[in-house]
Amino acid sequence: MTTVTADPAPAPAPAGRRPKQPSRLRRSWDKHWYAWAMVIPVVVVLAVLIFYPLVRGIYLSFTNLTEANQAAEICTRSITGSEVCKPNPNRWEFVGLDNYVRVLSGEVGEFWQWTAVTLIWTVACVVFHYGLGLGLAVMLNRPMWGRTLYRILLVLPWAVPAFVSAFAWKFIFNERFGLANSLLTAVGIDPVDWFGDWRTSLLTAIVTNIWLGVPFMMVALLGGMQTIPAELYEAAEIDGATPWQRFKNITLPGLRPVSMTVILLGTIWTFNMFPIIFLVTEGQPAGESEILVTGAYRAAFEGIRNYSLSSTYGVLILSILLVFSVFYRRMLRKQGEVW
Amino acid sequence: MTQIAGTGTLPAAAVPRGARHSRPRDSRSSRSPAKSILLHGTLIVASLIAIGPIVWVLLSSLKPGYAIQSSDLTLVKDPTLANYRYVLGETSFLRWFGNSVVVAAFTMAVGIFFSATTGYALSRFNFPGRRPLMMVFLVTQMFPVAILIVPIYTIMANLGLINTLPSLIIANLTIAVPFCAWMLKGYFDSIPTSLDEAASIDGCGPFATFWRVVLPLARPAIAVTAFYSFLTAWGEVAYASAFIQEDRKFTLAYGLQQFVPQFNPQWEYLTAAAVLVTVPAGIVFFFAQRHLVSGLTAGGTKG
Amino acid sequence: MRRIAKGIVVLASTTLALTLAACGGEEKAADEKPKTDPASLKAELTWWDTSDPKNEGPAFQELIAKFNQTYPNVKINYQSVPFGEAQNKFKTAAQAKTGAPDILRAEVAWVPEFASLGHLYALDGSELLADESDFLSTPLSSNKFDGKTYGVPQVTDSLALMYNKELFTKAGIAEAPKTWAELKTTAQTIKQKTGVDGLFVNPAGYFMLPFLYGEGGDLVDTQAKKIVVNSEKNVAGLNVAKDLIASGAAAKPPANDSYGTMMTLFKEKKVAMIINGPWEVSNVKNAPAFGGLENLGVAPVPAGSARAGAPVGGHNYVIWSGMPQEKVDAAVAFVKFMSSAESQAFLAEKLGLLPTRKSAYDVASVKSNPTISAFKPVVEAAVERPWIPEAGQFFGPLDQMATEVLIQGKDPKASLDAVANKYKSEVVTGYGL
Repeated sequence: MTTVTADPAPAPAPAGRRPKQPSRLRRSWDKHWYAWAMVIPVVVVLAVLIFYPLVRGIYLSFTNLTEANQAAEICTRSITGSEVCKPNPNRWEFVGLDNYVRVLSGEVGEFWQWTAVTLIWTVACVVFHYGLGLGLAVMLNRPMWGRTLYRILLVLPWAVPAFVSAFAWKFIFNERFGLANSLLTAVGIDPVDWFGDWRTSLLTAIVTNIWLGVPFMMVALLGGMQTIPAELYEAAEIDGATPWQRFKNITLPGLRPVSMTVILLGTIWTFNMFPIIFLVTEGQPAGESEILVTGAYRAAFEGIRNYSLSSTYGVLILSILLVFSVFYRRMLRKQGEVW
Repeated sequence: MTQIAGTGTLPAAAVPRGARHSRPRDSRSSRSPAKSILLHGTLIVASLIAIGPIVWVLLSSLKPGYAIQSSDLTLVKDPTLANYRYVLGETSFLRWFGNSVVVAAFTMAVGIFFSATTGYALSRFNFPGRRPLMMVFLVTQMFPVAILIVPIYTIMANLGLINTLPSLIIANLTIAVPFCAWMLKGYFDSIPTSLDEAASIDGCGPFATFWRVVLPLARPAIAVTAFYSFLTAWGEVAYASAFIQEDRKFTLAYGLQQFVPQFNPQWEYLTAAAVLVTVPAGIVFFFAQRHLVSGLTAGGTKG
Repeated sequence: MRRIAKGIVVLASTTLALTLAACGGEEKAADEKPKTDPASLKAELTWWDTSDPKNEGPAFQELIAKFNQTYPNVKINYQSVPFGEAQNKFKTAAQAKTGAPDILRAEVAWVPEFASLGHLYALDGSELLADESDFLSTPLSSNKFDGKTYGVPQVTDSLALMYNKELFTKAGIAEAPKTWAELKTTAQTIKQKTGVDGLFVNPAGYFMLPFLYGEGGDLVDTQAKKIVVNSEKNVAGLNVAKDLIASGAAAKPPANDSYGTMMTLFKEKKVAMIINGPWEVSNVKNAPAFGGLENLGVAPVPAGSARAGAPVGGHNYVIWSGMPQEKVDAAVAFVKFMSSAESQAFLAEKLGLLPTRKSAYDVASVKSNPTISAFKPVVEAAVERPWIPEAGQFFGPLDQMATEVLIQGKDPKASLDAVANKYKSEVVTGYGL
């Protein structure tokens, strides 16, 4: 870490304490170079690894490029040493909005059904993640006997690789051999065909994902609570506030920046959460519990991989999430939060 | 920027009932027995749910393979340590373990460094490009990874990084850093800016202010993001399965998948290995969580 | 990414390790007479093996050791890659021209796909195909694409009726059913007499093929470029399967993990008959409750009104076209060794894998192997699948259809029409309906 000692001035407040500088660019550079220096490494890595493929993906969604038609010519190497190259008969081309028309009209895949399932899945998961995470964090934030033990036990689900947990829950919901149906039978309820109906099938995936995601929420919010200055609580107590009032007026506002982030990113991640649906329900029954990402993956990546189709789905998913985050931001701004 | 200032509007009229109100930092003795039972009862139930499936994994790891999926549901059946012996002795488990530690540790260290500086810049400086940058961070999380794997592979191949651990560290960072930067920005936002200003008046430059004043105060936040980065790398499978091609360079999570091919899966080895994987992650959390309790102390004690 | 291609069943992994494995196997590759001195061949080759790493991998590594006795300077980097992810992993690497293996064990349906993308060496004119006529024609045909041959068959397999002999005796049944109608009455008798389920039908596309083939149906007609998946024959075949479950002759399958459920129930003697392939024989044999190989009966799949037919499966050796030319001799020598009659006999003896060479079936140890003898007629009657690059995409819609018909009780005709439309719009767009 470089320690800068030469330049004492720049406080975040833009008030013009300095004499006027020759050019605006120069002024801007002088004032902000350290901020830029702090973010530039991240920007470079993201630009190369994510942004470039993403922009290319948007471009591809207007073509019909697949694994089979992407090369200008297909060469066959013979083991005897010769190589024959033939021009690709169906070379890829621009198809305008064809991909979008085909996807949105339902000609390819089940876009609208997948979107509906995705929305149910996302809302259910995020609400329970945040609600349960907040509740547990509040409880664990108090001094009490066994707090460290509770914290460790409650965070353990996070430490198991997600795909192992997915298998564990799949075993629990196994219709013939699973614990869930054994318990139901034990209390005299008929066993459930969990994966025979999309609602119960989706339920198993949501339960799995809630179990997986609550520890993260809990820890993130616990960290947020620790940055709330203790004297706020003390002052409130002197004012005679009840625990509920303290929670509502100190804890929740104090958690706002963190909550805003975890809800926003939690929504984005859950929306794109691939492995849980893929492994736990496998889209059963008959693809009815598929969400957008898993549906898109199966539609585009089984057999000959269809890059233009997968990009089209990617762009549609991106658009939905962008619209969501713009609305989310507007909502927050109404309440005085800016970012 | 923070909302805490608004708490001055606490309704003073709310009259608490005498002894019932307890200070949040107060000792446990002031909690009534009924409340104690409720609190512990809830936490015990939650803990049981949390560890239930893990206990199932643990019990399964002690069974011979044929008894894991079976019509008669038993907790313990012919207990044996043979699965652990196989995983530790006959597979490259320890090597994978080492690889995972390297990948996770680097992801964590590099990730925290970059996301802390970035998060601080985003929180404190209103520089041109700040808001677009935050949006860009979000957008990078919006395009499904499953679709990006093939182009990222090509880029890694061009950089000559295929089948190396750095490829995984870099790929993991693209997941961890945008999130951690956002998180840390949120945490930094709740640290009063008056501290920075004081430091700045004392003659600290922006880097020094960040390093000596803000960072120490953000310890709980750093702990959270460190844990997050570590676990992201620890459990990541998608990139590992695409980029890594040699058995001796596998990470744990990916190595574990080798035990459960689609047909004839070896559940007994998967579960045993999963238990062995969970333990170190639990230990890391045990140490990280201490920092979760020692955050800001009253008033802006100078760092 | 772990890719679960349920439909494209892994046609792999039989591990018999038969008890008679004590003798034989030591016969040296006698007709292995390389023109040049084998020791002069120097190269390092990577081989991705997609077989079962625990049961099968060691036998392949033993074979490599044998290979190195003749070719001491050809180093084989053996890498086990899970079958479920090998296909996409290979394509991604081959396309980026970095990181693909020199030699791959490819499932039969992958070969035309890889070949159409230019990822494989055409093997025509090499030593590997010098004795082409010795290979069984159906497994070999999966390596042909556009008039050239891109691989050498490693192992072949198909679906058969596997049954529990003890339960058959208990129910007083003397021999395996030969038609679907007989299958139904057999299953019902078993249920009546023993109380356990008579049959389990796995509701997945690949496992529906015997029902479709039985009525003379198929998925597509590659000659006429026509989609025939929604033919009346296929509807009739599906109705047979649907009736087996609806009538209670077969257990009601779950929509998820039905394959695992089928195997668990069969191994626990809770179901008497299943339709499955030789790759599960070792699994059944090792199940403590089942009673070993003596209790396992194998018969060809029952016939429908037209014939008895099961799909052919298996694996081939292919060579990546990105492998430098100078390694060709070593690669050819390696594949030749691995696919030789001796090596196939070795694998048959060790693992119960079905050889793809006619001459391998004449080896004494293969002839006397009961499981191989039981599966041999099954494999000989196996139906060739359409070997086109798009074949891998046929099974997604078919799996969905199987769930709709067998679990959700939907009308077979409507479901098959939906499959046909999907084939037309997404898979073989150039074909007629």
